[in-house]
Amino acid sequence: MFKILSKELKAFFKDKRAVLLTFAMPTILITFFALAFGGIGGDGIHQIPLLVCDQDKTDLSKKTINAIDSVKMIEVIPCNYDTAIDLIKLGKRTSVLVFGKGFSDSVKQLKTLPLKFEYDAARVEETGVLLSLVPKALFTSSVGKLMTQEYFGQRLKLLDSATRYKVFVAMSFGSSPSGNTLDNLMKLKTTSIIAAKVGNVGLVQAVAGTAVMMLLFSLTGMGGGLLDEKEQGTLKRLLYSPVHPAEILLGKMACSIIVAMMQLTAMFIYAWLAFHLQITNKILPLSIIIIATAIACSGFGVFLATVARTRQQLQGMSTLVILSMSVIGGSMVPSFMMPQWMQNISVFSINYWSIQGFYDILWRDLPIGGIFLSKVAILLAIGITLTLLSFRFFRKNVLALD
Amino acid sequence: MIEVNGIHKSYDDIQAVKGISFSIKDGECYGLLGPNGAGKSTTINMLSTLFPPDSGTITINGLDIKKSAEEVKKILGVVPQEIALYANFTAWENMLFWGGLHSLRKNELHKKAEELLKFVGLLDRKDEKVKGYSGGMKRRINLACALLHSPKILLLDEPTVGVDPQSRNMIFELIEQLNKEGMTIIYTTHYMEEAERLCDRIGIIDSGVIVAQGTLDELKQHSEIKDVIVMECNQTPDATFLSSKLNLSLKVIGNIVYIESTDSKKDLTRCVICCSDAGYEIHHIDIQKANLENVFLKLTGKQLRD
Repeated sequence: MFKILSKELKAFFKDKRAVLLTFAMPTILITFFALAFGGIGGDGIHQIPLLVCDQDKTDLSKKTINAIDSVKMIEVIPCNYDTAIDLIKLGKRTSVLVFGKGFSDSVKQLKTLPLKFEYDAARVEETGVLLSLVPKALFTSSVGKLMTQEYFGQRLKLLDSATRYKVFVAMSFGSSPSGNTLDNLMKLKTTSIIAAKVGNVGLVQAVAGTAVMMLLFSLTGMGGGLLDEKEQGTLKRLLYSPVHPAEILLGKMACSIIVAMMQLTAMFIYAWLAFHLQITNKILPLSIIIIATAIACSGFGVFLATVARTRQQLQGMSTLVILSMSVIGGSMVPSFMMPQWMQNISVFSINYWSIQGFYDILWRDLPIGGIFLSKVAILLAIGITLTLLSFRFFRKNVLALD
Repeated sequence: MIEVNGIHKSYDDIQAVKGISFSIKDGECYGLLGPNGAGKSTTINMLSTLFPPDSGTITINGLDIKKSAEEVKKILGVVPQEIALYANFTAWENMLFWGGLHSLRKNELHKKAEELLKFVGLLDRKDEKVKGYSGGMKRRINLACALLHSPKILLLDEPTVGVDPQSRNMIFELIEQLNKEGMTIIYTTHYMEEAERLCDRIGIIDSGVIVAQGTLDELKQHSEIKDVIVMECNQTPDATFLSSKLNLSLKVIGNIVYIESTDSKKDLTRCVICCSDAGYEIHHIDIQKANLENVFLKLTGKQLRD
């Protein structure tokens, strides 16, 4: 038995690919996930950017904004309203907090505050965190104190201000005889800017994220057919015939693109049938992004297959690269949940552009053109660039038959 | 028809072919005989236009393969060493695919495919997937796929590797028939019996160099390899006496005398008479014919299967 054990261990450690997959792969993935969600590699806190539009421009509004900015998890970015809305529509920011005109007066007069929180409902996790942190910051700021004093001052005039505040905290937003509770007065008016009528954003994430990741795996497998043909000798036989090497590669690419389009279409039809994902009124833009994604992913699959010299090399490389791209590109978890630096590098993954394209159509409900087409253009550029590089590597690696 | 002049081919630091030259006439069957790694497949790859030679020229039917590769491909059929077929396709599907690459018309292709399947004896099994075929059957389809565009020249790169004797014989018969019909054939092998049986002329290749070429008899002469007449006598023969009488080179080991002869049929009678005259009883006679194995050993100093 020990001889067998010894032989197995020796064989295992001689197989560099197996060792890589066993130790390096999990290490790399753990590193990615730790960096993404464990607060490692930065200051330990994942700050969520919040656009703030101060239309009141009073000392009180400025103090309140500073109070919100002092919350560790919030990064306040001053901005005018129109720019803020554009940034949210483009998917670059998640939300804007608007301090409307008369904010200061409303505090003093104990009226409902003109506070609006407008957001991208597609980014439910980020906005959820902001919606819990911003009111808390408001209550603990000078606004909270002033309003508490006014609120209880009218009702409990006998108490001094410090006691009144303690009572307020103890009562936890007690109600007034008119039913106008303090928390109601300070409540944010929330509005989803993007696709408020569309269904579950998680569903779009699940379908798009998974479909793109699986597509990359399946197309890399298909691209690997080139290496199989090399090993089996059929590639050599193809080259004996009056077929140009470029035709062989383009034929593989075309097949990959067709299969990719079929796979993505099937995934979205399944999501429509099984989970009622609304796609029927978005056939044209969905088809456009499916074609662009298919071209980019096929280019990637063929590129990886031409870079690798053997099927084993391809398997090792594809697992590493695709999982890495899927983590940073938002296939596994939405990219906005990651630290800013990871969001910055996510643009280097096909997953990111494709998933954002699907978001634009199925969630943000953007029209064809502008930002949506820019994502399509980037995907096409990725596909074409990788295909051109594939030709170079095809000659160098795959056609080196002997 | 085929002229190869001083071709060289290197891969990185390895010189696979070092200045090979030969010419092949129309309808001839030319064999390239050599051990593994001798440069046979590299030569075939260059002839098939897969790789151009680093230096030297190859002309096929008057066409320079570097300048007219596409034209050359139309008259060449190549049977690769590997079973280069799609295993999940049926024989018929494979035939249509490989034939289709030569832009044959559908009717013409179907007719030719059927004809060739019949020729290789697999017409009745054309709808079975190739992966279910025996090694010999795969080799036959491998051959048939190279003939779909009716090439004038057929390059066969060790087409019988891993084939049982019965199937090998069947492949030989197919090749002989093609050659009889006028097809020019270049056949690489490391089996001497294949080269001896099939080839009109043989080039012996070793370490990227053709060390000798010609017909089998020419090679024997070139290498000065002779037949050996072996006679076992009732006593130890007198070597000096026999040598002077026969005027042939010989050696005696125990009761056995080994006599070298360039014409063993003619010399055999003389040897028997000479031994009888000397009073030796002959218990056993054998003739060891000079073959390619001896020739190869003499020319390269190594066994063919080294």
